[in-house]
This record gives sequence, structure tokens and C-alpha cells, in this order.
Amino acid sequence: MKIALAQISPVLGDLDRNLDLHLETIEKARRAGIDLLIFPELSLTGYRLRDLVSETARDPRSCREFQALRKAGRGMSIVVGFVEESPLKPGLFFNSAAFIRGGTIIHIHRKMFLPNSGMFEELRFFARGRTIRTFETPWGKAGLLICRDFLHLNAHYLVFAGGAGISIAVSAAPGRGVAGEDGFASSRMWEVTGEAVARLTTSFVVYCNRTGFEDGAVFAGGSFIFDPFGNLVARAAYGRPDFLPAEIDPADIRRARRAMTFKRDDRPEVTLANLERIVRLDED
Amino acid sequence: MKINPAFVEEILTAFIREELGRAGFHKGILGLSGGLDSAVCATLAVRALGPRNVTALIMPYGKGFGSDLADARRIAKALKLQAETIDISPMVDAYFKKHPTDNPVLKGNKMARERMTILYDWSARIKALVLGTSNKSELLIGYGTIHGDLACAFNPLGDLYKTQVRALAEHLGLPEDIRTKAPSACLWPGQTDEAEIGLSYAELDEILEHLVDGRESEDEVVARGFPRKKAARIARLIRGSEFKRQMPPIAKLSSRTVGHDHLYPYDGNK
Repeated sequence: MKIALAQISPVLGDLDRNLDLHLETIEKARRAGIDLLIFPELSLTGYRLRDLVSETARDPRSCREFQALRKAGRGMSIVVGFVEESPLKPGLFFNSAAFIRGGTIIHIHRKMFLPNSGMFEELRFFARGRTIRTFETPWGKAGLLICRDFLHLNAHYLVFAGGAGISIAVSAAPGRGVAGEDGFASSRMWEVTGEAVARLTTSFVVYCNRTGFEDGAVFAGGSFIFDPFGNLVARAAYGRPDFLPAEIDPADIRRARRAMTFKRDDRPEVTLANLERIVRLDED
Repeated sequence: MKINPAFVEEILTAFIREELGRAGFHKGILGLSGGLDSAVCATLAVRALGPRNVTALIMPYGKGFGSDLADARRIAKALKLQAETIDISPMVDAYFKKHPTDNPVLKGNKMARERMTILYDWSARIKALVLGTSNKSELLIGYGTIHGDLACAFNPLGDLYKTQVRALAEHLGLPEDIRTKAPSACLWPGQTDEAEIGLSYAELDEILEHLVDGRESEDEVVARGFPRKKAARIARLIRGSEFKRQMPPIAKLSSRTVGHDHLYPYDGNK
């Protein structure tokens, strides 16, 4: 299976130019024989939208941008980030990502954990997602997370408990700390998390970050793929756009789970019972 | 305090290119004083845009102070950028002839704002954006003239302490005498930043790093062995200079007000 991470730098608030960038990248992926092409968080709109959130929101089931993406991406699967406003929830804007397979949207994830401190202010502009569901792909079950979701243990656990063998995360993570040998210090946090989650869930962990600058914030790049044994498969450049193709073998999920039986030995019902108790006690 | 200067250079040159490109510009302009910060910024701009796309205005008051004029010209020549020298003394003198003062700070501020008006005039004439050269040390303690040297379209150096700008300058290969000469705002002859602030940059930057990046309290900084008087003075300077780092407040009257709830990104305009 050939996977590619499109570590792009979207133009803030400009859907037309970003759609063109997506279509060009899809064409490039097609020529490279890519099966699954992943774009970063809010790849169609850019990240620091603030009041542009409502102006750039789209209903993926009817908007022309998704029509173009579905048509262009017929021969492959693609993951795209966008601002979602569904007719069922007018006036609520979600930081969402869609998994499109052969021209059909098969899954939409709404970002569940919205960072809202320091340089982040997502809760001021976005509504929160409530569910983490896994979904069928040609390579088995997969999960989809967005940026800060990736730093919450329970998000990974829900993907794992939901049966995924491939965990995809799209991101617009800024870089912080320039004392290190290579890239930003903050990139270590994502890599260490990715490796640990890959090992502990015996799953592929595929992380696509963006690059570029918005209002001075630098997006760190450094997208990566870990295999279900926790080995680094590939890593993209730090701090500049990149297109990272990589070959992975989905049979590695079975191989890893035969060697390390974390999935077989997992006890979600015990987790649930304990969580219920903890949440109940916390209410006292 | 340590930086990886090669990585910082890569990020900042990309920043300069992106900020210009996004706004539909391909040229940058900056004031070149002969000091370290503007020399570093000019070097980054030349590496990002090429020497033909960078204009440096050298704006001494008369013949300038000390070696600054000669140093600025030497830097401009070495970088092969587009340089122009404009003496600001006729404009500044004309004003103070009518409104005299002995206060050197008033004179210095007027000079800084005179340079700003010339930079922005040239910015429109040659379609170039103004690059800021204020470093993190200056920004945090408010050691700059509001609407003067603090004015710019974007600032590549604003998250680097002076100590880190020096490390970057060494990596960029700037001449040693430029890197080691006493930093000066050039408000009057013989002025140095460190004498005026009352601290060396090494000490200032270390205390700032604890207070700002480390989010430590004044007491925690003192417990590290720094003199109480210095820590308190720096904390006071930071608090007292917020007005130089923000847009001024607007009295809110309507349902949607600039700065309150009309919230668009700086970079989001097509």
C-alpha cells in the first residue's frame, strides 16, 4: 500500500487557491501510484481563520470544492481538512477532516479537543465534536484524529478500542523551541507520542502536519509514519513544504498483534466501568 | 538562550519571503543603522530575497555618531543591496528650531519617527514592505520609540533576545567589530543601551528568559541569585511598556467593534 503525506502550506482564507493546490497534489499522487493521500488540518482553508471561520465553512455534501475533490480523487483515498457547517447544525462550525474513498465521503471526524490557551483560541470560533468512530478502508479499520486530539490519551484509546489498525492524524502544529539539532523542540512531542501510540496500540500511526506561516506562527512540518512495531517508516522535512510517499504493509498489523497481544488483552468493559465510577465520584 | 542558528536562518528567510509574497510584494526595505540588529535583518533579507530586492536606507543625523555611518555603508556594500543615504538633520533641526528642547530623549524619539516617515514614504515609492529590526529584549522592556523604530510591516527578529541575535550574526558571518560593538539606539553621541538600561544584555536577557519564557515570579528569579533591584526593575519595565506592543484600545459602542469582536487574521486577506 502506497501512502503519501502532503505537507503543504495552505493560503489562509483562500479556498480557491487551496483547492488548486489540492488538485495539483492529487494529480502528483496519481502519477506516483498513491493509494492514500493525506492533507493536513484545515488544509482547504488555513488555520488561524478567526472570524473567517463562518465565511470559509462548507457543507461537504453539497459544496463545489468537495465535488471537485471527489471527482479528482476517484482512483484513491484522500483525507482533507476543512471548516464544516452542516445544514443539520446551522451556525455551528466544526474543525473537521473527511476521509474520501473513490469519490465518496466515508467518514467525517469533528475535532474533539480544541486547544484554547496561550497562542490557541479555537473554542472562541469552533464547536466541539463529540464522537470518535472508526471506519472501514481497503486496508482495514482506520481512525481519524485532528491535531490536539492526538495529545489526549483517551482519543487514541477510542481509536484502538474501535478496532483500528491505522490511526491517521492531521495537524496544524506550530513549532516552538529552536535550540535543538534538527527542527523544533515541539516536534519531539509529536514524534514521541506517535512512536508510543504505535507500539501500545500495535497500529500504524500516520501524522500529517503542515508548514508555512500565519500571523507569525510557524507550522513545524515533520510529518511522519510509524509502523505497528513503533519503527519510523518515513519523516518529512521540518519547517518547509514536502511531499512524502511511503510504502507500508497492512499485514504488519497482524504480525505486530501476534507478537504483542495488547489488542487481544484489552478490556474496554473494565475501562468503562472504572471511568463511570471516576466520573460519578468526580460529581460529588 | 541557545539557538540552532542554521535552523533559525532557514525559518526566518522563509518567513520574510512568505510575508512579502502573501501581501503581493517582492521587495523589502529597512533602516540600516550600522548596529547589529539591522545588519542581521538586512543579511537575512538579502538571503531571502536577493540583494536587488532589498533596499537599505541609511539615515544619519548629520554625519551620525561614532563609526555608525561608515559601518552602515560597509555592511550595505558587503551585502550588495540597494542603499541610499538620507541625512535627517534638516527636518529634525527645522522642528526643534521652532520647538527647542534640551531633553535628548525627545530629540531621539523625533529622529526615530523621522526615519519611520521616510521608510514608509519609500515603502510606497518603491513598493517594498518595511522590515522591523526590534529584538525580543527591546520589545519586552519597551526600549524603542512607539511609531518610530518599532513601526514595521513585519518583524523577523522580534522573538530573538539580543544575545541570540549575536549568535545568529556570528553564524551569518557578520564582521566581528559589528558583532562586538556596544549596542546603541543612537539617540545622542556616546549613548549605549546598556548604560541607559542599567544592565548588560547578558544579564537582562537571562532575567527576561526566566520571567517571560520560564513564567517565573520575581521572587523565583531572585532565589536564583539575581539582585532583587534588577529583577524588580525589569519586571516593572515589562509591565509599563505594554502600550508599545499592542494596538490602542477602542471604546466599544456597537455590536461589532474593531479589535473586540471584529477578529480577522493579519495574514488572511486576499
